[in-house]
Amino acid sequence: MAKHFQRKGRRFLGVNLQGWIRGFFGGNAALSIVILFLICAFLVKEAAMFFPQHHRGLELYRKTGQEYVGHLIKEVDEYTILVSATNQAYYQELDAGYGAQRGVVDSSGGIMDALEDEGDDLIGELEDALDDFEDEPDDPEIAAAYKKAQENWKAFARETIAGLDRKEVDSFGRLEGHDGQWEALKEAMVDWDPVEGDPTPFVAKAKAEMAAGMSEFDAARIELGSAGNTLKDLKNKLVAEASQIKKEAVEDMSAAARKAAILEGSKKLATEEERIAAVAEAEKIVIRESFPFAEKTAAFGESFEAHESAANELKEKLVAAVAKLPSDFKSQAAAELIVGVKERTPDFIEKLDESVEEASQWKWDAPLGFWGSTMKFFFGRDWVTNSSWHDFYGLLPLITGSLLISLIALAVAIPFSIGAAIYVNRLASRYEQTFIKPAIEMIQAIPSVVLGFFGIMVLGEGLRELSQIGALSWVPGFPMQERLNIINAGLLLALMAVPTIFTLCEDALNNVPRSYSEASLALGASKLQTVTKVVVPTAISGILAAVLLGLGRIIGETMVVLLVAGNKIAIPDFGEGLGVIAQPAHTMTGIIAQEMGEVSAGTLHFRALFLVGLVLFTISLMINVAAQRIIKRLGHA
Amino acid sequence: MNDSSSTLDSADAPEVASNEPIISIDNLSFSYDLGSTNTLRDISLEIPAGKVTAFIGPSGCGKSTLLRCLNRMNDLVDTAKVTGGSISILGQDINAPDVEAIELRKHVGMVFQKYNPFPKSIYENVAYGLRVQGIKNKSVLDQAVEESLQKSALWDEVKDRLDSSALGLSGGQQQRLCIARAIAVKPQIVLMDEPCSALDPIATARIEELIAELQEDFTIVIVTHNMQQATRVSNRTAFFYLGELIEYDDTSKIFGNPTRKQTEDYVSGRFG
Repeated sequence: MAKHFQRKGRRFLGVNLQGWIRGFFGGNAALSIVILFLICAFLVKEAAMFFPQHHRGLELYRKTGQEYVGHLIKEVDEYTILVSATNQAYYQELDAGYGAQRGVVDSSGGIMDALEDEGDDLIGELEDALDDFEDEPDDPEIAAAYKKAQENWKAFARETIAGLDRKEVDSFGRLEGHDGQWEALKEAMVDWDPVEGDPTPFVAKAKAEMAAGMSEFDAARIELGSAGNTLKDLKNKLVAEASQIKKEAVEDMSAAARKAAILEGSKKLATEEERIAAVAEAEKIVIRESFPFAEKTAAFGESFEAHESAANELKEKLVAAVAKLPSDFKSQAAAELIVGVKERTPDFIEKLDESVEEASQWKWDAPLGFWGSTMKFFFGRDWVTNSSWHDFYGLLPLITGSLLISLIALAVAIPFSIGAAIYVNRLASRYEQTFIKPAIEMIQAIPSVVLGFFGIMVLGEGLRELSQIGALSWVPGFPMQERLNIINAGLLLALMAVPTIFTLCEDALNNVPRSYSEASLALGASKLQTVTKVVVPTAISGILAAVLLGLGRIIGETMVVLLVAGNKIAIPDFGEGLGVIAQPAHTMTGIIAQEMGEVSAGTLHFRALFLVGLVLFTISLMINVAAQRIIKRLGHA
Repeated sequence: MNDSSSTLDSADAPEVASNEPIISIDNLSFSYDLGSTNTLRDISLEIPAGKVTAFIGPSGCGKSTLLRCLNRMNDLVDTAKVTGGSISILGQDINAPDVEAIELRKHVGMVFQKYNPFPKSIYENVAYGLRVQGIKNKSVLDQAVEESLQKSALWDEVKDRLDSSALGLSGGQQQRLCIARAIAVKPQIVLMDEPCSALDPIATARIEELIAELQEDFTIVIVTHNMQQATRVSNRTAFFYLGELIEYDDTSKIFGNPTRKQTEDYVSGRFG
């Protein structure tokens, strides 16, 4: 009987070619799933270990008294802000009221430097001649020589001064518009006596005018600047003490480990003598059961009163000094600064009282909840690393920066990309379609580091120059202090999000059946009405999903924000309203990229970065899931 | 019958004397590729007001193209062009430079081959045409929606669920909704492009009944593949073949005693 229906083809290990191909592709899929799982597991493991370590760190912070001293540090910092604002106002006012005098004084210094540099020899001759003359004032030859030396100097001085570059001498341009003063100064400086080195009467007069006019303000600002001296001294003293306690405590806690390490290392040493020495050294390390925190930090409990009296002293002196600050200003900037200082003073005093009260609650052995230390990560307002004092890991500044930049990017990208998608899909002619679409999609091909470069050199510079234009000063955030800031990063990220949102949006619009727009047009609707009333509402789920995926792209972007956002780890000051966009910020992605290379594995800092990564991953995942949900739910409506 | 008190009468519509043709097509040639080849050639016919006129012919004969010329839907094709002749509707040359296609379409409604209600509520579908004309008054819209749905024999079926999605209706209901949508803006002419080709026989019968009723208020031009349908619903029939008008006469004449041999071959089922 003939055989039929047999298997054909070669087989290897009992599997035919199709089976092998199937296995290959299936294996690839399985591998990617396994790798994804490993990444997640690794991320979660490293990040989870952050919390106990962070908790121990905070416990130590409390036990060593650093937490108590931290209150004083914050108080002094806040006070310093007031002082520096006042000083800034003082110099603004000085410039506005006595700019010419200040210019004369500054420039006279510049001229003196130039004369001393170039006329070194002549000054020497002059000094010698003067010495001789003083020794024998009656010798006519010597008197003549001295006179000659003086004349030589004057001739030199006149020539040198005439050849000076005005911009170099008056580097701040304070004498601009005061040509008369400049000429007078040049004339006066010819008579300057390089041997004595005293300022000429002309310069001395300018100085006196300045001092007389600003004396009231100057006195007030100096009084304000010294109001906190007692508190500052107390702070410095306590900081030193707490640092010492921390150092001892850390050494103490690592004693056992160090001893073990030395003993372990001694086994590998070459000679017996070295080994004995190492063991002896190890024996010297004392391992204590527990570190005597109570005893060491007793002094802090006693300093509560000193703290309170220092704070009271600061309050009294500050209020007195603020009352003495002038209220009429020639400079608008100074007026604004001083108004700010006056407004902030009551707030500062209130905060100071709270802080003193809170500080007095400190106890070295007060229990620290695990929940509390966890919240200190998620809602902590400081991210301070590699500090000799204490490292803080607070997510808030980073997440605020990331969200703010992303929101700006979305706000800019949405109208552009959706508008472009509608135009290309519904309104553009076929010819326009052939180049608009590839052009927008081409943006995706720009490497983000190149965009960052563009952001620094072109956009940042351009924005800042634009912001200097007086007519635009009503725009929030203008004039910009920083070139690298939130709005700059936001605009670049918007550019990166546009191709993503545009392409997906265009797909969504493409999926709207042609018959819908035909029906609408046949009812006498214009093209625009058709788009807004039929096409966009029908495609809205796809458009929303496109926006969400664009957001996912933005929030995970690293290089651009690292280069352009300014990388200042602080919560932006929302007190400025919309002007907040002109401030620099740091982001979750940026901090990981910036710091991951410098930390050693297993440290708290290392794990903190992993945790930030995990938070980022969670946010991205949620955005993607939300996008999928929207597509599924609305897509079938 | 022409009930001038009906809200379905357009206030600004030009009046037409009862015997004059509402549409006159004069030597029309039309091309989809800027004149290289003419899809329609030298077509002349006059469509009377208040009647149902059927366009029949084999696939590709140009009957749908001609229909789409009547409300300038062909404008959507970039390369479409009228290469000769003219179309006058209510005495106005509709391809004149000062004629706006959007305005024309408010007077010449259209129902498509595949029912295509918007993914909106039943109410919003019918009110759409009025809304794009800027009518916001709720009571005016309510009245127009009810009247249109009643005229399209859908009111009783949907009056309790006007706010539910139109896509939940059956195919026949959706097509009647499309008719309601088209007549809500009170056009004088309703163009129907094979309105029953996607429907089952029962739904088809209802649409045909509807056409007979609508004839009282509107001039209807219907393209159909189905010759029985043409005999059932139309007063006049035009037979097209390869872009030319072969014969145009009363429906009974075309199907009973056609003048041309080609017409006879087609209506008797010898080709097509």
